[in-house]
Amino acid sequence: MIIRAEHLTKQFKSLRRKDGVVGTLANLFSREYDLKDAVKDVSFELEAGELVGYIGPNGAGKSTTIKMLTGILVPSAGSCTVDGVVPWLDRKGNARQIGVVFGQRTQLYWDLPLIESFRLLRAIYGIPHDRYEQNLKAFTDLLDLDEFIRTPVRQLSLGQRMRGDFAAAMLHEPKVVFLDEPTIGLDVVAKEAIREFIARTNRTRGTTYVLTTHDLNDVEKLCDRIIIIDHGSKLYDGSIDAIKERYGGKRVLTADLTVACADIEVRLPGTTVVSREGHRITIEFDRSRVRADELIVELSRTCELKDVTIAEPELEAIIRQIYQSGLEPLTAGATT
Amino acid sequence: MVSAARYWDAYKEVWRLNVLTLMEYKANFFIWLLFTLVYHGVALAAIWVILTKFPSLNGWQRTDVFFLYALWMVGHTLNNSLFFMVGDVPDAVREGRFDRMLVRPLDSLFQIMAQPGQNFPDDFFVSIIVFGIAAALVHLQWTPLVALLVVMTILSAAVIDGAVQLVVATLSFWVIRLDALRWVVMSLENDFTRFPLSMYNRAVRIILGYVFPFAFMNYFPATVLLHKTADAAQFNPALGWMAPLVAAIWAAGSLTFWRIGLNRYQGTGS
Ligand SMILES: Nc1ncnc2c1ncn2[C@@H]1O[C@H](COP(=O)(O)OP(=O)(O)OP(=O)(O)O)[C@@H](O)[C@H]1O
Ligand SMILES: [Mg+2]
Repeated sequence: MIIRAEHLTKQFKSLRRKDGVVGTLANLFSREYDLKDAVKDVSFELEAGELVGYIGPNGAGKSTTIKMLTGILVPSAGSCTVDGVVPWLDRKGNARQIGVVFGQRTQLYWDLPLIESFRLLRAIYGIPHDRYEQNLKAFTDLLDLDEFIRTPVRQLSLGQRMRGDFAAAMLHEPKVVFLDEPTIGLDVVAKEAIREFIARTNRTRGTTYVLTTHDLNDVEKLCDRIIIIDHGSKLYDGSIDAIKERYGGKRVLTADLTVACADIEVRLPGTTVVSREGHRITIEFDRSRVRADELIVELSRTCELKDVTIAEPELEAIIRQIYQSGLEPLTAGATT
Repeated sequence: MVSAARYWDAYKEVWRLNVLTLMEYKANFFIWLLFTLVYHGVALAAIWVILTKFPSLNGWQRTDVFFLYALWMVGHTLNNSLFFMVGDVPDAVREGRFDRMLVRPLDSLFQIMAQPGQNFPDDFFVSIIVFGIAAALVHLQWTPLVALLVVMTILSAAVIDGAVQLVVATLSFWVIRLDALRWVVMSLENDFTRFPLSMYNRAVRIILGYVFPFAFMNYFPATVLLHKTADAAQFNPALGWMAPLVAAIWAAGSLTFWRIGLNRYQGTGS
């Protein structure tokens, strides 16, 4: 096991601010704090080589968790270890074995060519020259850095910069890499390149990844396991398949009819007509209560079907529902 | 030690990048150089003008005051060359750039100070020349003891200056914006070190001597170097040799304060 988080908790303390001139003066002496529970009692374990999606809505506490695991923040309670090191007690020791990519914020030097940031990182991490050259070559090939490696970072496109940031985070061969929204703002092609890189390095180098993102395609394509948090608490920890199985029992059937479907009714248990538009009817049905063929037979009794498609539930829809209405049975099957 | 070597490696790399950046922004560099010259020129001219009205302040001649300024300037600009980026801590904290320094295997304060593309020792070189001129004007006798005192003073001055900046910067772990305090301390240093401390009232003397000990950067050592016995009646002449001690105390104190602040670090929301 490479990461162990136990009852990790972070409470932010901020001075309560008053407005106006008098308020500003009062602020100087005020000892009133607002407390905010950003992360509450979160525990999980990760094995080396895992690629875990850490997801949750805005303000759920994802970045805060990552900041505790990387040693940036000191938890208010609970603890964690990353490969045996307590991050905030031994920041430098922890730093040697982790890599971090913050999608919102580059670690590259704005005014300097990309390669110069790499050279400085080589010195900062004390990477032996031969290893550095090897890794640089490998990442240059994987990420196609060649065409812009001598360009000042401020002139790079977001996608190029992000590729540079990935290489920068991994030159020192970290065992664990934390990614906080690494695909934010990227186009489809750039996203794909980043995903490919993550999957590749996970496979060939055994790098452990913790991935935070709002793009569930990232998660669906890369991760077997997801951890969902909301309002600072863990809601789910398990495989994507299991969550689809358990919470995605619904399928959507879309049928094109030969006639207008305004007055078509479906009288089967576990079905809901979601929409009727012209000749197209969309029906949501509960897989455990009604089979697709039964539904089609029922429909074709009243009208002729031109075309039928059945859609799998999208992870996105499931997650949206969990964000909105929570997730009742927390325990059963929740932990791996 | 392996890690000392790594710090040295990183520092060399940073300076290489400073030079590279300088090459890329030549115009910017020359504007700064010009600004440095004009800034110190104006300060010196102001001293000169005041001293044409009062040719002597408490027994300090024009050239003595010029020397006082030059001595401060060398220490201060050495501080700028080494520790200038300490002043970046509040911005780095507020903009969230500081996070990055905590996830790299070198001391975060070192990383703040060694940010590439920021430091040019141009004003340090300018001030060494100015100091050379000032020393000649006051006919400073370069005995080994004097040379020792001058070098010790300059090094200590840079440390004192840097340590005061560090204390101010560290406050940003508690208070997000403190530009005002920074300005107060800066002008305290810039304006009140220009003239002999003996001409100020008690409050200023206490502040510069014992609160923010900028007087150890130039005034106390200068009383010894220039044999200002009249001033020595008000101040113990041994103070002229105390800069290293004060520097050591301030360095230790400010670093401790920094560590305490670091553990309070909360980062920013996004
Ligand atoms: N430095 C801070 N001071 C005060 N409150 C903070 C701070 N950092 C985060 N918070 C609060 O803690 C909560 C969790 O924030 P966090 O950044 O961890 O969320 P997140 O899951 O990363 O959200 P997002 O998806 O928007 O990035 C939020 O309510 C946020 O306002
Ligand atoms: Mg976040």
